[in-house]
Amino acid sequence: MRLNGVHIEDTFAEAFPMLGTRVVITADTPAWVQAALVSLTGFATSVIACGCEAAMERVLPSDETPDSRPGAAVLLFAMSKAELAKQVARRVGQCVMTCPGTACYAGLREGAAIPLGNALRYFGDGWQIAKRVGGRRYWRIPVMDGEFLCEATTAAVEGVGGGNFIILAADRRSGLAAAQAAVLAIREVPGAILPFPGGVVRSGSKIGGKYKGLIASTNTAFCPTLRAAVPASLVPEGVESILELVIDGVSEAAVAAAMRAGIAAVADLGATGGVVSVTAGNYGGKLGRYQFRLHEVMA
Amino acid sequence: MSGLILTTRDSAGPPIDMTGVLPDRLIEGGREALAGLMLVRGRERHRLDALFALQDGGPSGGLVLQPGDAVLDGVGSGMTAGELRVEGECGAYAGSAMRGGVLTVEGNCGAFAAAGMAGGSLRVLGDAGDFLGAPLAGGTRGMSGGSVVVMGNAGDRVGERMRRGLIAVHGRVGGLCGARMIAGTIVVGAGCGPGAGQAMRRGSILLRRAPEAVTPGFVDGGMNDWLFLDLMRKELIDGGAWPSGFPTAGTRARRLIGDRTAGGIGEVLIVSEA
Repeated sequence: MRLNGVHIEDTFAEAFPMLGTRVVITADTPAWVQAALVSLTGFATSVIACGCEAAMERVLPSDETPDSRPGAAVLLFAMSKAELAKQVARRVGQCVMTCPGTACYAGLREGAAIPLGNALRYFGDGWQIAKRVGGRRYWRIPVMDGEFLCEATTAAVEGVGGGNFIILAADRRSGLAAAQAAVLAIREVPGAILPFPGGVVRSGSKIGGKYKGLIASTNTAFCPTLRAAVPASLVPEGVESILELVIDGVSEAAVAAAMRAGIAAVADLGATGGVVSVTAGNYGGKLGRYQFRLHEVMA
Repeated sequence: MSGLILTTRDSAGPPIDMTGVLPDRLIEGGREALAGLMLVRGRERHRLDALFALQDGGPSGGLVLQPGDAVLDGVGSGMTAGELRVEGECGAYAGSAMRGGVLTVEGNCGAFAAAGMAGGSLRVLGDAGDFLGAPLAGGTRGMSGGSVVVMGNAGDRVGERMRRGLIAVHGRVGGLCGARMIAGTIVVGAGCGPGAGQAMRRGSILLRRAPEAVTPGFVDGGMNDWLFLDLMRKELIDGGAWPSGFPTAGTRARRLIGDRTAGGIGEVLIVSEA
């Protein structure tokens, strides 16, 4: 398949089931929302070493938040419900509750409940107050700037992690431009996030490596500098830079929509924009439950 | 399914115990089951259709009571579903031990309305008597769920030993409002009598202005912003339960914490303008 001169390889992205949740953070100003977000979603790029994958889903204007203040929706994904609950409690406790003026609400209603305020209430040292409003339960935890309001639980749903596509570009500048265009397009898609820095991965990995105990190592097949040395190199002539976009979503449809939006944005730049081709990462279809075939996604 | 309108045949005489006259029964057994229900009036038992004229009408599957000058006790007592509307006044125990459904009283109601209530919604367009949402006789816990909105005033001991749920009184309440309260929320649109929150353990009493006398055992926590007030206001405005005199914006309130003599961390919040 060719889109605007960009070759779309006939392959698939292999993705995995993950448990995901959405929380809504609000604060007095957008700047304080941002401060909480940066902290909450920090060091949350990959479950390989971070425990969870997280990123902002979208900014919420005041008229879309529970308390009519500026806010943002954040998606967090982990490999199990227990791990997700642990990560949510730790991150909200250390990164949101600590941030001046913030409040935290559940962003999903349907699904298995995981503790939010229920896990943090003890910080109130006996002075915390539960309050039920409109069928929802909140914890009011006294803090030094007043009170931290946090919904008791949020919901976990089975989502999809590891949706991806890989941009092969003539040089680093054009590769980065294509990736950034894709990031902007994907951030408009509800229910999907890009957990890596700026939404882009430059150190894609393969499973294992030559060193004992290594879970993952550099994806040698896609390293342009190793093209001549690695027999199984997948880097074509004329490609100097390769970037990957990894997508997590609350559903298979959300991940597919995000991939479609991202690849379309890359193809819009076209071959004249330095994009050579688009491919995807997989493990031969043996490991992941979900397969996103690029040609089907872009059909 | 058609609803049913019940009009009292004889307004004079002792109160009629309306226990069991519920939309649930109409839905399950139909008009005949309801008409044959035995009711107690004074020292006598009567079939319902001997005391009330029955005609089709009202909300689908629901009941409308037209008491005239008769006193009806226990209206909606133990109700679990459906809609019941009283086009007039109620005696004692309206909506007591209610579990679900919607009960509307277009006039006043007597003591022990919503006593022991666990769910559903009671709306009183007039005044309510003493012990609104309090425990039933012999009970140790008051209201444990549901919502009560009184558009007029209410008597003493509103929400006594309340465990959960909401009571909103647009007018004044008497003394000992929220006394021995365990949790839940009471909103009072006008003033309240002495002893508000006495011996309360948890829960919130929202007032528009400071009580005439702060209950001993309460300490003044000062002014602050309370974000949950914004959520509560939206919810109560939607349900018509936010008293008209209360501010429609802002989260400022003065908080009195107590009753510390009972080890309580309940609160009386005096809500301010934005």
